[in-house]
Amino acid sequence: MAVKIIESCVNCHACLPVCPSNAIYETKPHFMVDPKKCTECEGAFADFQCASICPIEGAILNSFGEAINPPGSLTGIPPEKMAAAMAELQAH
Amino acid sequence: MQLPVLNDAPAAKSGCSASSCGTTDSQMDSLPDSIREKVQNHPCYSEDAHHYFARMHVAVAPACNIQCHYCNRKYDCANESRPGVVSEVLTPDQAVKKTMAVAANIPQMTVLGIAGPGDPLANPEKTFETFRRLSEEAPDIKLCVSTNGLALPDSVEELSKHNIDHVTITINCVDPEIGAKIYPWIFWNNRRIKGVKGAKILIEQQQKGLEMLIAKGILVKVNSVMIPGINDEHLAEVSRVVKSKGAFLHNVMPLIAEAEHGTFYGVMGQRGPTPDELQDLQDSCSGDMNMMRHCRQCRADAVGMLGEDRGDEFTMDKIEDMEIDYQAAMEKRKVIHAAIQEEMDSKRLEKARKVETQNFASLRTRPVLMAVATSGQGVINVHFGHAKEFLIYEASPEGVRFISHRKADQYCGGDVSCGETESTLQTTIRSLAGCEAVLCSKVGYEPWEMLEQAGIMPNGEHAMENIEEAVMVVYLEMAKAGKLDTEQLRASA
Ligand code: SF4
Ligand code: SF4
Repeated sequence: MAVKIIESCVNCHACLPVCPSNAIYETKPHFMVDPKKCTECEGAFADFQCASICPIEGAILNSFGEAINPPGSLTGIPPEKMAAAMAELQAH
Repeated sequence: MQLPVLNDAPAAKSGCSASSCGTTDSQMDSLPDSIREKVQNHPCYSEDAHHYFARMHVAVAPACNIQCHYCNRKYDCANESRPGVVSEVLTPDQAVKKTMAVAANIPQMTVLGIAGPGDPLANPEKTFETFRRLSEEAPDIKLCVSTNGLALPDSVEELSKHNIDHVTITINCVDPEIGAKIYPWIFWNNRRIKGVKGAKILIEQQQKGLEMLIAKGILVKVNSVMIPGINDEHLAEVSRVVKSKGAFLHNVMPLIAEAEHGTFYGVMGQRGPTPDELQDLQDSCSGDMNMMRHCRQCRADAVGMLGEDRGDEFTMDKIEDMEIDYQAAMEKRKVIHAAIQEEMDSKRLEKARKVETQNFASLRTRPVLMAVATSGQGVINVHFGHAKEFLIYEASPEGVRFISHRKADQYCGGDVSCGETESTLQTTIRSLAGCEAVLCSKVGYEPWEMLEQAGIMPNGEHAMENIEEAVMVVYLEMAKAGKLDTEQLRASA
């Protein structure tokens, strides 16, 4: 049981110091979780600490491979609005 | 004491509101002596000092503990002048080396700030190690820090141990309902807390931190981002509250929001304030403070004096190879600082004398904005084509006053109307919109024509002359030529 950091991570360091299990490490191209060390914060905290401070939606997945912070959950930007804005920019 | 409000309008209008004219000297005088002394030679606070001294930032603090709706962690934040996490983050050791390398090579560099890329106090070890080492190894450098305030109460004790000159807190509201529209979440006591509840904690921490800093005698400046329809009407209240608690300066900045930043406000189409709205708010907060207008929302990683960026000389690989004898550098810096101080003092005296003897009040001409190309020392000394930024001055019958900085390229990058075909020259000229003259040491033939077409009079006649005097001379020439008829005069209405 472990969470996973994927490529949308922006290397902001926020998760690293809050992990109670020292499971997160800095590496290129983005931060990673050592699955052997990650305890999913069991016994320490009610919520995954890394995913509670991570500012990037979708950057951390649970053991089922689902985004712990799905699109729109942190920024409040409805995903379709974001998609429309980005499509508009692409068109330029 | 009136709490001064700083003006960062990117495009100042050429009008002149009654409350902001002719107060050039009084507001700095209204500060208590102890504060005035600190402020007087500070490149961020004193208009004349920023021609002589410089500051720099180091990016050692990547993590953040809150989310603001005007911020996208990936990119440089235009609102809080902090670099994005994609730009180079330094270790404390690298930051100390870089600071000392710059201080040894640019003796005018007197202030070192930590402003990001995240919240400095959410990275306490990195921030404080940098401060601790600099306080010991480079005691002649003043330190400053900007924060969102969430972790501030826990940091005051540690901050008070270092050479901290001032702390800047970004306070956008004192009402949690409004806060919930600005801050979607905070990370607090091992939880992500959203909405009003999170905003309430953040506000309480900011206010508590502010009070604790004041109690310790540390200078506090408050920054607010003006967000129309969200906190614009509320900021007068914020100003009143922070003033009553002892903040020495309230700096209101306009929201910058574009869809391509990927921020909540950008994508949702939240607009920033117009220059008029910003000006009105600043007036309603507390009147205006001349000496504070030169704050440049400076690029957080820029290095050097006014209008120059020497960052390329101080990349990490170059710094690794530099041998720095800081003791020797400090001796040299001391001598140079004393000479600068002397020059500034004499100029201040001279200026005070002039103000007394000059009287243009009989003129009934309208105010005019002029752009000046300078690299410091208070003189016009930069070629038009080399200027990376311009200082904007307003000339009126009341005299000459500094209004703001404009970066030559600041209107590019993201502006929809700015196609790729636009030349640097066109961009530069566009950044001077609203100005009627530009004073520089030289202007080439091509830009000369383009400036004239844009209604901006190029002027290279005052190279190496004192800025304010030259601006006044040009103004009087314009008046004589009948270019300043009074139809637009509104100050005395
Ligand atoms: S879930 Fe908990 S233990 Fe696992 S990496 Fe995140 S913070 Fe560390
Ligand atoms: S908090 Fe999120 S974005 Fe930041 S380093 Fe960790 S996983 Fe990456």
